[in-house]
Amino acid sequence: MASSQELSDFLRGVERRAFKQTVYAVRDEHAALDIVQDAMLKLSEKYPDNPVIEYPMLFQRILQNTMRDFWRRQKVRNIWTSLLSSFGAKNDDGEDRDPLDTIDVGDEAANPAAQLESSQTLYVIEKALEKLPARQREAFVLRYWEELSVAETAESMGCSQGSVKTHCSRALHTMAALLEKQGLGSQDIENLGVES
Amino acid sequence: MSADNTNHNDTEHLEAQAKGLVSLLDARAQRLSMRTLKKLEEGRTHAVEMHKERHGASMNNDGTLSHWGAWIDHHRLTFAGLVLIAIISTFIVLQNMNNNETSDAFLLGADLPPEAFVDKGFEPSLNKRATI
Repeated sequence: MASSQELSDFLRGVERRAFKQTVYAVRDEHAALDIVQDAMLKLSEKYPDNPVIEYPMLFQRILQNTMRDFWRRQKVRNIWTSLLSSFGAKNDDGEDRDPLDTIDVGDEAANPAAQLESSQTLYVIEKALEKLPARQREAFVLRYWEELSVAETAESMGCSQGSVKTHCSRALHTMAALLEKQGLGSQDIENLGVES
Repeated sequence: MSADNTNHNDTEHLEAQAKGLVSLLDARAQRLSMRTLKKLEEGRTHAVEMHKERHGASMNNDGTLSHWGAWIDHHRLTFAGLVLIAIISTFIVLQNMNNNETSDAFLLGADLPPEAFVDKGFEPSLNKRATI
């Protein structure tokens, strides 16, 4: 049975990754924040008595389901938006911007050229990840980023272990092809991984 | 055989690439804006407060119950309590049935008719038999 402190430590450890993974999936930072917060609340509300060792898989399952709910709602909203679009679109240019949004936290390397190269590479990788089909991205994130086993990934995705292997293989091939197209060869990627 | 080896090497190579990509993405995930971090912290705090309400109110950190009646908040304990009550009730009912059967057998096997045992006139005779 996990204590509140264990839950807090667990959430602190996964919240940043969960946020980025959700951003890649829904491509909207505000929505991603809502989804991650919702997943955190659902975990503490529905599984307060589960041991902390079960939390990684439970949290991922909740997160993926919350993302699916978001897409369903988005689909319905899009239908209404397209129906009502004839009434005129709102201009969002006047929206207030918060300077806190643009401040990055973390110790950047002092070399601006290296920073630029690194951020460009990351941009290419992030775009490639966003371009992956939803199920392939889900499999890639759970299997390689969250380091879940094939069985855990299958349970979290609600499919067979064979499907997980297929999704992972396809995701890897698609990613490699997309990155190659952007001039990032396999050796470059492996080297970048070692450097970071 | 060689085709299998090629596929295996290809997969291993791609998985190594995936690890490289993931380490970069992981490093990127650690650099979020202050606003995002604040929102995430708010979400975490709410979740932990809810956890304390749901779980901490009736349970101490060492896993013991914090007050009498707290067991009601725990499904397993509640279920165990109900099973215990059911077992005790069954035992009491069976005991009563057993007593009834014994008294019935005694009445049927006795020399006197059953009415004699409620008749006050037979009391001295019955008491005398009991002492013998």
